[in-house]
Amino acid sequence: MSTTENTTSSSKGNLLSLDTWAVIVALVLALAVRFDILKNVPW
Amino acid sequence: MASSTSLSGVESDNRLLSSLSIVPGVLLLAGIGYAAKILERSLNTYAKTHHWTFPNIEYVLWAILIGLVISNTLAIPKVFQSGIATYEFWLKLGIVLLGARFVLADILKLGGISLALVVIEITLSLALMTFLGRLFKLKPKLISLLAIGSSVCGVSAIIAAKGAIDADDEDSSFAIAAILALGALALFTFPAIAHSLHMNDVSYGLWAGLGVDNTAEATAAGALYSDSAGKVAVLAKTARNAMIGFVVLAYAIYWAGRGQAEAVTNKAAFLWKKFPKFILGFLLISLLVSFHVFSRGQVASLGNLSKWAFLLTFAGVGLRTNFRAMSKQGLRPFIVGALGEILIACLTLGLVVCANRIWGL
Repeated sequence: MSTTENTTSSSKGNLLSLDTWAVIVALVLALAVRFDILKNVPW
Repeated sequence: MASSTSLSGVESDNRLLSSLSIVPGVLLLAGIGYAAKILERSLNTYAKTHHWTFPNIEYVLWAILIGLVISNTLAIPKVFQSGIATYEFWLKLGIVLLGARFVLADILKLGGISLALVVIEITLSLALMTFLGRLFKLKPKLISLLAIGSSVCGVSAIIAAKGAIDADDEDSSFAIAAILALGALALFTFPAIAHSLHMNDVSYGLWAGLGVDNTAEATAAGALYSDSAGKVAVLAKTARNAMIGFVVLAYAIYWAGRGQAEAVTNKAAFLWKKFPKFILGFLLISLLVSFHVFSRGQVASLGNLSKWAFLLTFAGVGLRTNFRAMSKQGLRPFIVGALGEILIACLTLGLVVCANRIWGL
C-alpha cells in the first residue's frame, strides 16, 4: 500500500513521487532507445 | 562539520540499503513474469506439435495465476515485500512507455470518446454508490471512499481522498479491500462476458477501462482480451485517472463544509498535487512519436519495454491478492461494493454499446 500512497503525494523520505520517478525512468529509456544505446528490444 | 558528514554518510547508507531491499521482490516479479511468458510459449508449441486443441492462455493470465497461487498458499517472506510493492512503479512506467504505441490523433479520437464516457460513468457511479451506501447504512465517510474508489481510480483515489476528507484508517482499509477483491473478480469475469458478447477490441478496451476500478487490474483485464484491447483499456483508464483531482476536491469541499475535514485554501495547488503525473509522461512520449522523433524500430522497442514493465505488474497483481486477508475485512462494505460494481459494469457496458452505435468504434 505504501507505494500507492506515493502515487499521489511524495513520501517524506523521497523528494520525488512514484509517478515522477516512472516518468523520469521512461524518458531515460526513451533516450537510450533514441540514441541506439538500447537496440531492438526483444519480446 | 564532522558529525554532519557522518550523518549524511549514514543517510546515504540507509538509502542504499532501502534501494537494495527491493531487489529480492523485483527479482521475484521478474521470475514469475518470465515463467509466465515461457509457459505460454511452451504450452502453445507443445499443443501444436501434439495436435491438441488447447486454449491459448496468455502470459498475462499465467503471471496473475502464478502470483495468486504463491500469495494464497505460501507465506511470502518479508524480504520480498518491498520489492513486490514496486509493481505500481512498473505499472506507471509501462503506461508512460505505452504512449509510444499511440499517435496523438488516436489519443484525441479515443481519448475524447473516453473522456465523454468517463464523465457520465463518474456521475452515475458516484450517485449509485452513495445510494447503495445509504441503503445499507454504511458510515458516511466510508460511503464517500467507496464512491470515489469505484468511480475514479480504485486504490490510488481512496488513498488520495483519505487525507483530503480526513477518513479513518479502518474505513480506508474496508474500501481498499472491497475495490481490490472486486478488481480480482473482474479479471476473470470481464473477458468471459466480452467473449460471449463477441465484443471488438476497442469496445472491450473501453469497457475494461471504464468498468474496472484499479489501474493495474484494468490494464490486466484489457490485456487478457487482446493486445489492442489492452492499449485502449489503458487509455480509457488514464482518462478516468485524470479526473481524480476534481472528484477528490469536490468531496474535500463537501466534508470541509460540514466541519469534518480541513478546508482547501488553494484549489489549483490541490488539483496539481492530486493529478497523476504519469499521464503527462504518456502524452509526452506519444507527442514525440507523433513528430517522428523515433524510427519504426525504435517505436517497437519502446512498445516492448512497456510490455516488460507490464509483465512485472501482472505478477504483482497476483502476488498482492490475498483472499484470506480480504475476507477478514467484513461483509457489508463488500456487498455494497459488489452490488455497485455489478451495476456500474452493466451501466458502462451499456455506455460502450451506445458509443459503438454512435461513433462506430
